[in-house]
Amino acid sequence: MVVSSAANSSTFTVTTPSDQEIRMTRLFDAPRRLVFEAMTKPEHVKRWWGQLGDGYSVPVCEIDLRVGGRWRFVNRHPKGEAAFHGEYQEIAPPSRLVFTEIFEEFPDSPSVVTPEFAEEGGKTRMTATVRYPSKEVRDMVMASGMSTGAGISYDRLEDLVAELQRAK
Amino acid sequence: MSDQLSTTFAALADPTRRAILARLASGECSVTELAEPFDMSLPAVSKHLRVLERAGLIARGREAQWRPCRIEAAPLKEVADWTLRYRNLWEQRFNRLDTYLHQMKAKEEKRHGRKQRRK
Repeated sequence: MVVSSAANSSTFTVTTPSDQEIRMTRLFDAPRRLVFEAMTKPEHVKRWWGQLGDGYSVPVCEIDLRVGGRWRFVNRHPKGEAAFHGEYQEIAPPSRLVFTEIFEEFPDSPSVVTPEFAEEGGKTRMTATVRYPSKEVRDMVMASGMSTGAGISYDRLEDLVAELQRAK
Repeated sequence: MSDQLSTTFAALADPTRRAILARLASGECSVTELAEPFDMSLPAVSKHLRVLERAGLIARGREAQWRPCRIEAAPLKEVADWTLRYRNLWEQRFNRLDTYLHQMKAKEEKRHGRKQRRK
């Protein structure tokens, strides 16, 4: 029996290995072959990637899993759609993947995502390193609360933004 | 629009300027008042204020001689909207993936499980 759906959520960590990078790690209770498959086949990606609750769906999910091949995912959410695309640069199942990612609303800020998969006591530890085009973009992504307490002191800004939102 | 966002990000990428904005969030004040908590000359503070003003993050009164500074919410709202989209996105995605992997595993075990008894 599956006990808890997010049993490993406490294994999620975020660090900043360099000025322009964010590194996330997380443990998954499955062999890395399955984790790799879940991230690279449209029929699987559609089921988890953009499914963040009611009103969310993934109407477009295209993957051309070849070096130089393109991918494009569209996430429909209650307030509209968010589209992402990129290109595969390295494909080494089941241990490593490198692809570019462009959030189509900010086409000038491409990032490079490198998920790596390691066997850890029957589970899989994914280490995903995201490289942003500048420190500023990276810092703002950090400031968004993606990783609380990861060492960037944007606390004041966050308070400020929260205050402004309360005032609306 | 994304140009405005870049300007805003650049203006916010400095702890002194963020501290100035935090101070202004609780009400308008003069350059002298803003300079007080910092170990910094008035011209240096003015320079930061010009960056914030160009980014549209603050406005300065023309009427009074002491030209009070006040915060402008619009660009910050844009930043907040942008960052909200990223908030916890990966954590949520990973949780979904974890749940989905359990389903994938269960399906595989159903398919192959009968041939091979698990310990």
